[in-house]
Amino acid sequence: MQTMIVARALIKQYGTVRALDGLDLNVASGSIYALLGPNGAGKTTAIGILTTLMPPTSGSAQVAGHDVVGEAAAVRTKISATFQDLVLDQDLTGRQVLDIHGRLYRQPTELRRRRIAELVEMVQLSESIDRLVKGYSGGMKRRLELARGLMTDPQVLFLDEPTQGLDPQNRAIIWEYVLNLKRERGLTLLLTTHAMEEAEALADSVGIIDHGRMVVEGTAAGLASALGADLIRVIGTGQSTQLLEQLRNLAFVDQVDYDPNERQIQIGVDNGSRRLAEIVARLAADGFAIEEVAVTRPSLGDVFLKYTGRALRD
Amino acid sequence: MNATITIWSKHMTKFFRSTEELGGLLLQPILWVVLFGVGMGSLVGGVEGSDYMSFMLPGILALTALGGAVGGGMSLLDERLRGIIKEYLIAPIPRLSILLGNAASTTTKALFQAAVVLIVGALMGAKLSFNPIGWLALIVLLSLFTLGFAGIALAVAARSRSIMGYHGMIFLFNLPLLFASNALYPLSSMPGWVRTIALINPTTYLIDALRALTFGGVAALPLLLSFSVILLFALLGTALAYWSFQKTIRG
Repeated sequence: MQTMIVARALIKQYGTVRALDGLDLNVASGSIYALLGPNGAGKTTAIGILTTLMPPTSGSAQVAGHDVVGEAAAVRTKISATFQDLVLDQDLTGRQVLDIHGRLYRQPTELRRRRIAELVEMVQLSESIDRLVKGYSGGMKRRLELARGLMTDPQVLFLDEPTQGLDPQNRAIIWEYVLNLKRERGLTLLLTTHAMEEAEALADSVGIIDHGRMVVEGTAAGLASALGADLIRVIGTGQSTQLLEQLRNLAFVDQVDYDPNERQIQIGVDNGSRRLAEIVARLAADGFAIEEVAVTRPSLGDVFLKYTGRALRD
Repeated sequence: MNATITIWSKHMTKFFRSTEELGGLLLQPILWVVLFGVGMGSLVGGVEGSDYMSFMLPGILALTALGGAVGGGMSLLDERLRGIIKEYLIAPIPRLSILLGNAASTTTKALFQAAVVLIVGALMGAKLSFNPIGWLALIVLLSLFTLGFAGIALAVAARSRSIMGYHGMIFLFNLPLLFASNALYPLSSMPGWVRTIALINPTTYLIDALRALTFGGVAALPLLLSFSVILLFALLGTALAYWSFQKTIRG
């Protein structure tokens, strides 16, 4: 399997703030990789370095086989990106936005005309493409940006929070485009998100990033199932270190975590419905006052909680 | 070069679409010529053998060019603050072309304004020389002058964190530069220290050369000197903008 994006020990320092603290990353060619993390985790900084917007303080990265610092010009011919904030000239029409983009990349007139026709069809903007961007809705602007990113037929597409602020319908539309791009064009996509459903729905690989470091990496399903086949969640009061330790020592328990904000103990077990009674009995015997109990399948959110000690919220 | 032209043409497209910008840009020089030229003209009569309108028209040309430079910096700042610049920064184009595209559209707009100033000025009685070399010199000098100040404005715009901050830094680019030049009174009538200040100000060289070449007046300074100063100024302004811009994007 060929690697399209490689980052080694990336550090980015802004004054006293360390936005990236030794980030490592590998993205396979033709796959979708989601960088999942809370706001401020360093996702946007990572995208900035990989798209040659800014150099890292130290560390190195290659995109499509070229170094992002030493061979930035070569990287730029192979990539495209959409950024967290909408980066569109409001006083141009959608068609002008796409056309100017193609001209920046020296595409001949005929090629631009053809690509615009094809992409406008794809992102369903045929009716509004000759109107000013000013009048577009948020979802239309996002779709126009995506079309712009595809104008130059890139090998790698970076999407920084591609569905932030979109309603569920527009979000589903963007997801569909993203999956199609991988399937039909073999594009490599690196996207950032702080929504685990997004990572679950789209990504072949997920990297959880926190405080500028890669915390854990894997497939969404693999990361979740490593927590145990089922999760028993218990909310209540009376938690103690010894109690958690006892639980951890049980043969059928894979892992135990405690979230003080939610007052929740999360226990990964081999079979939730079979072990529930025993867990509840043990907790009660140790004086833990149970308020709520639930058995669920582990999700990426649980993985996040395990590795960062915090819940991930929108 | 391709990217410079693309960015220039994008700015021009936006310019011709924006009736406010277009209207303001045309109205402003007309007001200067009419209000200032006529008012002062009736008070002063003539300076050094030419009528006051012909004497002060080069100053108004300089003033509109300065205003244009401020606007050019503003559009870079706007693209920077709104993130539009990222589209350029990840494209395979030279960084310098981003600045040159901006400076080129700024200069084009300044030349538009200059044409308006000259037409209105002529209607108000300014005596233009009908010398093709003079006209060519006007275009070249005014372009270089605008480029120089656009460079300084871009250098500030590349670093400013807000629109307010930008305007705070750039307030000089208006009447102060005009008053500290030979725009309103001839060099010969200035006290020594004012004259020294005026001779540091590139505006003085532009105005002096234009008076001689386009308005049939007499040059107070050697033309070659004025040309060299303006050319050097344009190069320095561009270099300053590039340096400041590089510093910002290296973040």
